[in-house]
Amino acid sequence: MSQSPEQLLAERKQRLLDAYDLKQPDRVPISINLGYMLARLGEITCQELEANPDKAQELLEKWALYFQPDQIAGIGLFVASPSVFLGDLQTKWPGYGLPPDQPFQFVEGEYMKAEEYDEFIEDPTNFTLRKFMPRAFKELAGFTDLPRFPIVLIGYAGLNFLSRLNLPSVKASLAALEKTLQWYADNAARAQANAQRLNALGFPTGIGGGPLVMAPFDFISDTLRGMRGIFLDIYRRPDKVLAAEEKARRISADAAIQAARTSGAKYVRIPLHRGSDGFMSIEQFKIFYWPQLKGLMLDLIEAGLTPVPFYEGVWDQRLEFLRELPKGKSVGQWQSSNMFKVKEILGDVMPHYGGFPVSLLQGGTPEQIRAYTKQMCEGVGKGGGFIMGTNTAMDECKGELVKVWIDATKEYGAV
Amino acid sequence: MNQKLVDAIADMDEESALQITKDALAVGTEPLAILSDCSAAMEIVGARFEKGQYFIPELILAGEIMKGISALVKPLLTGGEMQDTRQRPKVVLGTVKGDIHDIGKDIVGFMLDVGGFSVTDLGVDVPIEVFVEKIRSVQPTVVALSGFLTLSYTSMKETVDAITAAGLRANVKIMIGGGTVDQQVCEYAGADAFGKDAMAAVALARQWTSGGK
Repeated sequence: MSQSPEQLLAERKQRLLDAYDLKQPDRVPISINLGYMLARLGEITCQELEANPDKAQELLEKWALYFQPDQIAGIGLFVASPSVFLGDLQTKWPGYGLPPDQPFQFVEGEYMKAEEYDEFIEDPTNFTLRKFMPRAFKELAGFTDLPRFPIVLIGYAGLNFLSRLNLPSVKASLAALEKTLQWYADNAARAQANAQRLNALGFPTGIGGGPLVMAPFDFISDTLRGMRGIFLDIYRRPDKVLAAEEKARRISADAAIQAARTSGAKYVRIPLHRGSDGFMSIEQFKIFYWPQLKGLMLDLIEAGLTPVPFYEGVWDQRLEFLRELPKGKSVGQWQSSNMFKVKEILGDVMPHYGGFPVSLLQGGTPEQIRAYTKQMCEGVGKGGGFIMGTNTAMDECKGELVKVWIDATKEYGAV
Repeated sequence: MNQKLVDAIADMDEESALQITKDALAVGTEPLAILSDCSAAMEIVGARFEKGQYFIPELILAGEIMKGISALVKPLLTGGEMQDTRQRPKVVLGTVKGDIHDIGKDIVGFMLDVGGFSVTDLGVDVPIEVFVEKIRSVQPTVVALSGFLTLSYTSMKETVDAITAAGLRANVKIMIGGGTVDQQVCEYAGADAFGKDAMAAVALARQWTSGGK
């Protein structure tokens, strides 16, 4: 291959954009996120990979050149530091709550009590600052002492109330927050420089990427009520759940639009959790999950953004609902749904990304991988609108098998 | 049997279920009779889950209703009555080392329990040695390994290998499940079968023990 990095960059970018536009590219593009697999490849621990962003970038570039995919990403800014600075109780990280060589995990709990729905619905900002943040982040415990900010609405006389910000407890929490914000500032600059380095090597970045928000149901379930809590709530206080979801939808849409306008991102990622087959019934899905998710997606679409829900788990029984989405205005990222059925039902509605089982890339044979890649390229890649990718994190995949998969995609994905 | 109580529980009418229990106890109904109605109701819940009428919210709520009823009934029990004397085939269940996901495991535990198995749930992030020890002490027919993260594939394999090394492999049938676990992982880990959901777990356990109900 004698193409220059500039030519490769342009070609790969076009290939990806065509697929994301539901068009037929010259071949099926392949976009991978190596995640913690970079630690395995570099023979370092996950903790070392997170702690040493220069090393992480060096490994990413090295393996990008070896694998030659159309787009590649590593762990990026998804690392322990902010969590560690703030004493985050909702996540565990390699070396922080987990052995140094294990990938991060989310720890679900109840951070909003059942009787606190009204408080959240009435004033989400106050609930966030004075209840949620101190509960979820140990170092923000001082926020329980924050003033009621709207008292400033009385003008000059209200300023005196803000002197609560001088309380030692509040000051300590503000200092922890300041440190975290500095980390984000430093690393945003680094991330931009890293993206340019990848571009210079011929790899596009950021296509399909952008701010991450949650479906309204998952917003209330994942980090506030917990799955157990919310599943009881849909029986015990369904109206409260719906009212809280409405708040969550508006907060998420506003936050995503604001973030995308600042960064220039075109896509908004929405990993979906409790709406898939097996968690709730179709009847419950129709009341508590789908209208709110669709509403959020339409808000984003109206703002000119492309939502990229990650349909985690299996969605085979609810694919028909997704036909209600405007054509070509969202992207489907898939985990364990039947990709051939997905293509059949939703081929004209949205482009599809992912779905290749990492189990094959972890323990399969080259023959199995080539055979399934061929099947996917022919079945799901037919007519375009398909981006090859894995069904879940590549953390434990074997390098030689990933290479076989990428090469097979290039071979069988060509038009 | 108090059909009203059974129906209230099975139909997820929490308020009525608790009220009926209170009323029944007030007129002197045997606490054990109420507990037996609860078991009958839970079997219906399990059956509806199996048919795809019920999902996780119903399993959780059913558990909560049980808890509420137990709290009313237990103070009236003299002791000993709660003991389950049935000979149930044994299953040792747990989420493998390195993985703290419990949703799938808990559903499998619930369905095996209402399906007539005696389930020893070892929890999450279960060290390999703990599986081996418990297999030795509990002597189950079935071992069920759960995992959501991809690292669990390796933990499953290591757990199966350790069971083999301890000379216990021939005594147990091993099933795996959760997340993206598939036939490929089953072969890799050296398990006997994988199940894609809790019903598959119950079916496998029945097939292996010719037990349960």
